[in-house]
Amino acid sequence: METYDAVGENNFNPSSYHGNHTKQHATWSPYDNNGGTVMAVAGEDYVICAADTRMSTGYSIMTRQYTKVDEMSPKTLMASAGFMADAATLKKLLKGRCDQYQFANNKPIGCVAFAQMLSNTLYMRRFFPYYAFNIVAGLDAEGKGAVFTYDAVGSYERTNYSCQGSGQQLIMPVLDNQLKTVSPLVLPAVSSATPLSEEEAIDLIKDCFATAGERDIYTGDAVELFVMNKDGIRKETMPLKTD
Amino acid sequence: MFQTRSEYDRGVNTFSPEGRLFQVEYAIEAIKLGSTALAISTKHGIVLAVEKRITSPLMEPSSMDKIMEIDSHCACAVSGLTADAKTMVEHGRVESQNHYFTFNEPMPVESLCQTLCRLAMSFGGEGEKSMSRPFGVALLVAGFDEEDKGNDVGGYTLYHVDPSGTKTKCRAKSIGSGSEGAQTSLNEEYREDLTLEEAETMAMSTLKAVMEEKVNVKNVDFAVLKSPKFQVYDAKKIQEIIDRAA
Amino acid sequence: MTSLNLDFSVLDRPVRKEADELTSTLENDVLCGINTHDQYFTIPRVEDFSRFQKDVVEHVKPQHGTTTLGFIFEHGIIIAVDSRASQGPYISSQTVKKVIEINPFLLGTMAGGAADCQFWQRNLGIQCRLHELETGKRITVTGASKLLANTLYGYRGRGLSMGTMVAGWDTTGPGLFYVDSDGTRLKGKRFSVGSGSLFAYGVLDQGFRHDLSIKEAAELGRRAIYHATFRDAFSGGTVSVYHVGPDGWTKMSGTDVGELHYEYYPADAVENPERHGGGEGDIFVPKKREHEQNREDGEKKKDSSPEAMET
Repeated sequence: METYDAVGENNFNPSSYHGNHTKQHATWSPYDNNGGTVMAVAGEDYVICAADTRMSTGYSIMTRQYTKVDEMSPKTLMASAGFMADAATLKKLLKGRCDQYQFANNKPIGCVAFAQMLSNTLYMRRFFPYYAFNIVAGLDAEGKGAVFTYDAVGSYERTNYSCQGSGQQLIMPVLDNQLKTVSPLVLPAVSSATPLSEEEAIDLIKDCFATAGERDIYTGDAVELFVMNKDGIRKETMPLKTD
Repeated sequence: MFQTRSEYDRGVNTFSPEGRLFQVEYAIEAIKLGSTALAISTKHGIVLAVEKRITSPLMEPSSMDKIMEIDSHCACAVSGLTADAKTMVEHGRVESQNHYFTFNEPMPVESLCQTLCRLAMSFGGEGEKSMSRPFGVALLVAGFDEEDKGNDVGGYTLYHVDPSGTKTKCRAKSIGSGSEGAQTSLNEEYREDLTLEEAETMAMSTLKAVMEEKVNVKNVDFAVLKSPKFQVYDAKKIQEIIDRAA
Repeated sequence: MTSLNLDFSVLDRPVRKEADELTSTLENDVLCGINTHDQYFTIPRVEDFSRFQKDVVEHVKPQHGTTTLGFIFEHGIIIAVDSRASQGPYISSQTVKKVIEINPFLLGTMAGGAADCQFWQRNLGIQCRLHELETGKRITVTGASKLLANTLYGYRGRGLSMGTMVAGWDTTGPGLFYVDSDGTRLKGKRFSVGSGSLFAYGVLDQGFRHDLSIKEAAELGRRAIYHATFRDAFSGGTVSVYHVGPDGWTKMSGTDVGELHYEYYPADAVENPERHGGGEGDIFVPKKREHEQNREDGEKKKDSSPEAMET
């Protein structure tokens, strides 16, 4: 992204949201892309949220153990790719909001409510977006798996599977091929749950990351899978190639 | 006693040496001047009933609304200064819509009542918008929480919100000038397994007993909060209940 | 209601606030008081706001692209939309819900930035609901569209991208308005919005009659959107058709474009595809229509040469 002349002589503040006043350089390029791939698959009674653990900038790998999936509430997982500083800030803000929700309503936030809140939070930065591409995965009020997929400024949609980040264009066609069901917009309505069992879905996700790692320089090192079902959340890790 | 009162009841933020806030207590007294309102909760819905004081035959009864919808899952009956109630209800509506906007779900009834309580307590502050005195109104807030549908009260809850900002969960409650007598009879007659119809009849006969005038379709208002929709009864339906309670 | 009064003071202020102010936020006139913890939009503190916005769009590639249409006829309103969203050349979704159900009597359509449409039409939804609670009456379509137009006008020049139709039924009958992010608000009987709108207009204008039956009108809407998905790369997915009548809206149909293709595909096979540069015409020929084709082919030979068709 291009650099910008900041307002005034040399005082501007990219994190003006918090009102911190710091002096920085007169030119400003607020975004970086740290790569990484995140994905999620929902089933009838489970949901899996997965992400690789590589974080890069340009052609350098900065760390091989960066967890991109976070537990936002007992029923909600969130994974972000893109610019990790923005993603981390966003998650910090959202975790605070989740706590506020818990205090105000005496219950942990559900994934459907969280999904809407994330959309609004992203939109509040409509004119200076978080450069983060998010997926929310969780179990809804009926215990069904739910995946919500976003663009950077908050448009979102509930789906059965999604992939975002640097490997998106490699993985999405595979998921479409394996998991695509009748569109929920079609009338008469047809049930459109993912036809896979939990184990099959786990295998599919692992395969997706292994293949994406072969062709995408920003995906690799390891894949972390967070599996959520009625028993709770468990985490699996599978090493990927480190080249 | 009189002496202490007159010294310590001028400011809304001054306690008396006995630890009382007289302005708030007076506000609670103001409700006892209001018309009677009552609510009875059942597993199948909550009945709200109010008395309307038609002081002149030239008054248009339909212009007095003492039962107000806050959202489709929440409504309230009020007694006291109804103008104050309007402010509180409006606040509740905005909060409820805001919650829906932010979280894509109906606002939990308890949280909604809490925001009303917070507003009730916001008197005495600085600034243009804040109230300079306590609200002179009490609310019976009836609500339905979809996710508690399976509990022993069918997801229906009834709260009593008073000018001090206290909210109390109740099964049946009456407020206003006839509240003492009405509450006594509610306490005696209430059962947990009431049907909605029985609750309607009970509400009507209770009102009837405490109202000075004879009940008719014009001087009472009835409504029921029942999933999926809040509904105010029309004259025909009210007449039916009057006949049943006779 | 005080909290909803539109505050246009924001328009008097420069886009960029003074440099000595610590935070630069835009007070949201409409949301103020409604949104308790999201009162402010964050504005980047740059000299050239427009250039920054342009670059942001390049960078984050918000979802875009659409064909939507709406028209009033004898029995109400038909709204028809596709369901594709793209981020640059990448199709980010084929299942976007582009008809936003504001309430049982009001629909909004979505073209342009998906987030802009979703957010502001949700916002419109709660404004309409508050109006309804306050007055005890449903808001008119005129009123609802004006609320949206006023909101969007407040953000003029900031890079919002929305082309929407607000359709509904009120005491005055059917109402259809076009509202966009420039602040335009037009009342009309026939609109099509989005990248594929020209294609849709072609079919719509050709087939429109005021006295269409509901079924015919729905069919016209569906066909117009289908043809737009055929020619416009940014449109596709599923065609959804809604009807708005005196009792509110109903969804008439949702059909995958892949299926509609066999119903609507206009071109018939030509005898020698090579000579036609392998045009699309020879790829998908529905088998069930073979007998019709033979008949038509015979007719064609009589009055038109294949060369004439090429132009």
